Amino acid sequence: MRLPREEKGLWLVPLVAVILLWEFSAVFVVKDPLKLPRFSAVVFSIYALRDVLIADTLVSLLHFGIGVGLAFAVALPLAIGMGWSRRVFKAVDPIVELLRPIPPLAWIPLAMIWFHLTHYAAGFIIFIGAFFPILIDSYTGFRDVPKVLVETGKVLGCIGDRKQIRFVALPYALPSVATGTRVGMGVGWMCVVAAEMFAVSDYGLGYRLFQKFYFLHQMDYVVAYMLVLGLVALCLDRLFRHFVEERLFRWKKGIVK
Amino acid sequence: MYKMERRGREKRGVASLAVVVAVVAVAVSVSALFAGCVEEAEETTTLRIGYQPSTHQTAAMLAAEKGWWEEDLARFGVGKVEMKEFPSGPPEMHAMLAGDLDFAYVGVAPPIAAIYEGLDAKIVAGVQTQGSAIVVRPELAAEYEAKGPQALKGKAIATFPPGSIQHTILSKWLLENGLDPEEDTEIKEMKPGDAATAIGVGTVDAVFLPSPTPTIIAAEGNGVVVEWSGSMWPDHACCCLVASGEMIREHPEVVKQIIRTHIRATEYEIEHPEEAAEIYAKRQGADPTTIKQSLEATDMHWIHDPHLEVKSGLEYASVIYDLNRERYEGKGIEVLGEEEIFDASFYDAVTATEEK
Repeated sequence: MRLPREEKGLWLVPLVAVILLWEFSAVFVVKDPLKLPRFSAVVFSIYALRDVLIADTLVSLLHFGIGVGLAFAVALPLAIGMGWSRRVFKAVDPIVELLRPIPPLAWIPLAMIWFHLTHYAAGFIIFIGAFFPILIDSYTGFRDVPKVLVETGKVLGCIGDRKQIRFVALPYALPSVATGTRVGMGVGWMCVVAAEMFAVSDYGLGYRLFQKFYFLHQMDYVVAYMLVLGLVALCLDRLFRHFVEERLFRWKKGIVK
Repeated sequence: MYKMERRGREKRGVASLAVVVAVVAVAVSVSALFAGCVEEAEETTTLRIGYQPSTHQTAAMLAAEKGWWEEDLARFGVGKVEMKEFPSGPPEMHAMLAGDLDFAYVGVAPPIAAIYEGLDAKIVAGVQTQGSAIVVRPELAAEYEAKGPQALKGKAIATFPPGSIQHTILSKWLLENGLDPEEDTEIKEMKPGDAATAIGVGTVDAVFLPSPTPTIIAAEGNGVVVEWSGSMWPDHACCCLVASGEMIREHPEVVKQIIRTHIRATEYEIEHPEEAAEIYAKRQGADPTTIKQSLEATDMHWIHDPHLEVKSGLEYASVIYDLNRERYEGKGIEVLGEEEIFDASFYDAVTATEEK
């Protein structure tokens, strides 16, 4: 995506405006670092916390990796089944729709007993958050494969479910799988803080935010970690888009734009 | 071509206008939010008292159940007293920082940690000393008997978060026994309910918690009480009564009455421990027999004199300072002294008039 020159840096204007507004309201309107720490103080906090920050980020990424990795590994085969076969869909859909609305937070007590205080307990909460978006988007992709493509495949010698899934349905559904994964990653990252609230590890962005900074009322540190949570997610999303959407789906270019 | 460019420019104009409008809208709502907080005149018609589900703070619950708060405070124009329950001290102090509590029954350490960060409040009365215990998994009891604190080496111990009394006492006691809390043990910060579940399923090897949880865990067969906190730190202060700075400055008579009612409830619970246990059990949905057992087993003393808590309070202040030294020094915060944490003048005034 190459932007015309004048659009480059367009994002900078609102960003700088928000930062200035934040600093201004903290200094002149709120005047209480507990209620709203200054932007500059928060940036300084990120610097002051650099030692623990890296370890915390890595541990959080580990939890995230466990959760999202497993979610993808479980959701994809199930999505193929649900999207390709009406019978599987009819059999499984009620269970999926029953479990889907249960908030990841509600699983914490069970996670604690099933997985004890390990990284897997946190990974499980993130798994719950990431699993359903990946599943739903992916099976929709497989279900909506146009009949015309399947028939054409048959004519060209693509006979049998395995071949049809591999050469017709999978390529067709990949963009939906990617969208689902992207949404699932987003939800999964939101679950990181909740997943680390219950002493699963001695590091982690959510762990430190809740168990240390919040309990000692260190609000500038809290906001610093909130920003880091946002920044890491931004990087993850950009990386995903770069590698998956720009590389894997180069063929899609030109369909809409 | 020219037309298109102009349209493009117009579009950009509209877009930047939209951004400006959005920014202004946010600014207005943010300042309205904070202005609203400031303008809302605090009426003393409703008082908000924070407390935690521990037998340590039975006085707060007893006075509430018997209706003593409203009864005694009615002549000061207080129509309603809201009791707000918190799982542990740090979130309770966070609510007080946000201005949502006028008084708080809380451990001595959490308000100190909060005062370091700017909480406008002081300890005005004592509530109780000692009364927490280490509970180990049943299979670990014999080892603890034989080796003492060294048996905890390499073990996972659940307790309250840093800045709490329990965390402070446990860290200090481990250090005194030659164990580095960070290196030699795994301290897991939890709420009492989570900690009880964790030791029940063997997720942790031991817990260090205030009454009545140790007795409840033992009664369920999930652990053995091996150490009461009085032997770890004799006469250590535990809970206290905190009043917000606003109450102290603007409603000193209400503060005095709160202390009087607190003394009334404390003396009543000391005289009628059975009834106090029943009130606690009823309010918390606990088993009255276990609570009575807990009151018999514990080494806790209900008190109301804040002077008894000054010495360990100052020690907590320096422990918490050490824990956050880098941060506090960076901000030019110094170790808190007695006058910054305690205000015993109300208690002294109340007891002086009662003695006459």
